[in-house]
Amino acid sequence: MDKFAARLVKSFNDKDLGTHDLDWVGKYRSDAINLVGNLGIPKLSDEDWRFTNLKDFASKDFSTFSGNEATFKKPKLPDHISSIDGFFIYTHNGILVSDSDYPFSFSKIKDSFDTPEIKETLYSQVSDKNKDFFYELSSAFIEDGIFLKVDKDIKIDKPIVIINSFDSEANLKFINSRNIFYFEDSSSAEIIEYSVSNSDNEYFWNKTTNVYVGNNSKVEHLLIENGSKSSFIFSNLKIIQERDSHFTTNSILCGGSLIRNNVHPMLNGEGCYSNILGLYLSIKEQLMDNYMFVEHLKENCGSRQLYKGLLDDSSRGVFHGRILVHEEAQQTNAYQTNRNLLLSDSAQVDTKPQLEIYADDVKCSHGATIGQIDKDALMYLQARGINKKKALAMLIRAFTDEVVEPIDSEKILDVFHNVVNDWFSRSKIMN
Amino acid sequence: MLDIINLHAEVEGKKILQGLNLKINKGEIHSIMGPNGSGKSTLASILAGKEDYEVTDGDIIYNGESILELAPDERAQQGIFLAFQYPIEIPGVSNGYFLKEALNSINEARGKPVLKPVEFGKLIKEKIKKLKMDDSFLKRSLNEGFSGGEKKRNEILQMAILDPIFSVLDETDSGLDIDALQIVADGVNSLRSPEKAFLVITHYQRLLDYIVPDFVHVLVNGKIVKSGDKGLALELESKGYSWLEG
Repeated sequence: MDKFAARLVKSFNDKDLGTHDLDWVGKYRSDAINLVGNLGIPKLSDEDWRFTNLKDFASKDFSTFSGNEATFKKPKLPDHISSIDGFFIYTHNGILVSDSDYPFSFSKIKDSFDTPEIKETLYSQVSDKNKDFFYELSSAFIEDGIFLKVDKDIKIDKPIVIINSFDSEANLKFINSRNIFYFEDSSSAEIIEYSVSNSDNEYFWNKTTNVYVGNNSKVEHLLIENGSKSSFIFSNLKIIQERDSHFTTNSILCGGSLIRNNVHPMLNGEGCYSNILGLYLSIKEQLMDNYMFVEHLKENCGSRQLYKGLLDDSSRGVFHGRILVHEEAQQTNAYQTNRNLLLSDSAQVDTKPQLEIYADDVKCSHGATIGQIDKDALMYLQARGINKKKALAMLIRAFTDEVVEPIDSEKILDVFHNVVNDWFSRSKIMN
Repeated sequence: MLDIINLHAEVEGKKILQGLNLKINKGEIHSIMGPNGSGKSTLASILAGKEDYEVTDGDIIYNGESILELAPDERAQQGIFLAFQYPIEIPGVSNGYFLKEALNSINEARGKPVLKPVEFGKLIKEKIKKLKMDDSFLKRSLNEGFSGGEKKRNEILQMAILDPIFSVLDETDSGLDIDALQIVADGVNSLRSPEKAFLVITHYQRLLDYIVPDFVHVLVNGKIVKSGDKGLALELESKGYSWLEG
């Protein structure tokens, strides 16, 4: 077993996580920690990790940590986040610290293991492929995180805003957040997740969210990763969609020294649609690795992946877009696009499509581009009196806006534009 | 208004303009004709301030001041306009938004009030109608998927809205049929005034039947080798350029 995994196994045993009043919880965790040990930390030779070297990360000694509610202070948020008219929920170094009366339920996951939906979601075997180290790790340490549920036929009319804040207590800590968002049939909601760190802390945040979207439900999700520039963030989003459901997720990645962003929708009922959108905005030495895996399991579903990258300085981006159409999933429409703008000569991006199609009546496509700001376009705008900064902003906006085209929620669109403008105003090319 | 003095310029080390002199006064229309590769488009690009062109000698004086150090947007704000030979397609930026931003930038620089959306809408509708363009064009991405004729008309529309003082038309006539040429020429002629000047760069004498110049210059190997009135254009049409190349 490699050293990194061995330390995690030891920490697991020290905390006695394999024992729980509910037998299934102990077993679930124990099965997962065994896999953590067996799989070991991913290496470059693993096909799914070939562009992201975890060696430096794995050499660090992170100690396992559960946030301390008593030290929570409301984080300072930019206006475009704090002014959202929504239902705010806070976590502090991974632990839920909010307790409010909202038109949906939410609680610490460790306090809710007796809720049937949790076991049902964790054990659902829609797809059983490629065990992932970080996913298993999150299962082994399942304790902190949010269980959020919207009841049948309920429409949540304001965005649910989850603020994940980190402070210096998080430095050199392994923080495991395992969330379950459960949307019963015919419900609808918008969720905005925002993470922020009060200083340049070096934490390892392993965050996995299982989303269950019931029949005929509609969920729009915006994830803004704006945590510490020194943090290591492994984000896993696994979505099970049932019949006629719509799910849209949009990730904006700005923070983190290393981000691995896994999104895995499973279209598990007829007539589902999934939008998997994202924008990675990297500067300095950041590495942003996006791993999309869209799985079509049933007939007459559609999916669209659109990921765009703006890469400045010596930052690196990765896009891995995989579409798997199972034999049963006839009449699937699945599209994938990845576009990148390199804002400096030393920025780099690797992009890789992967289509596996076992049904014979499907429409699938993929495409990728890597380019630079079009100098002629810039000249054209300037020749009409528009100053260079404004012209650049217009071109960037034209590039990034495509990512939000499928989003209906005006509120989510506003937040998106503000986050992008904020990043862009700080980027090197504008300064 | 404009005084080009002994202009030498190169692109990627290749000498293109080699001592070009040209003086344009208020109210005048000048035309530059010349064979391919003579430096016509280079001159247009340099006037607009395009990067990649290096002025190695000489100067361009506009309203009494050198513009060589000015960025393209600063030149545009001072009233210099280039109708591009090949207008650029910019997906994701709508024509309407672009025109509004451009006009606001120029008005702001000139200390004029920024137009209210209603006023802007009225102005643009009127100009679009004049150029026989469709309203839907405002929502389309800038030049994206436009035919050659539509792109050229769009250049003239921009000119009509931004109301420049000195305009350079770089082969605006190429690729236009007679009807489109007439529309474009009407657009230009309606902007003529004693306060404004135009430099019309063309390959074909045909355009000059519609936009009648006061002076015609022949550019060969980066220099003006002959100047005259509109009669010179007719002479070039029948005799070609070879008698001027030496």
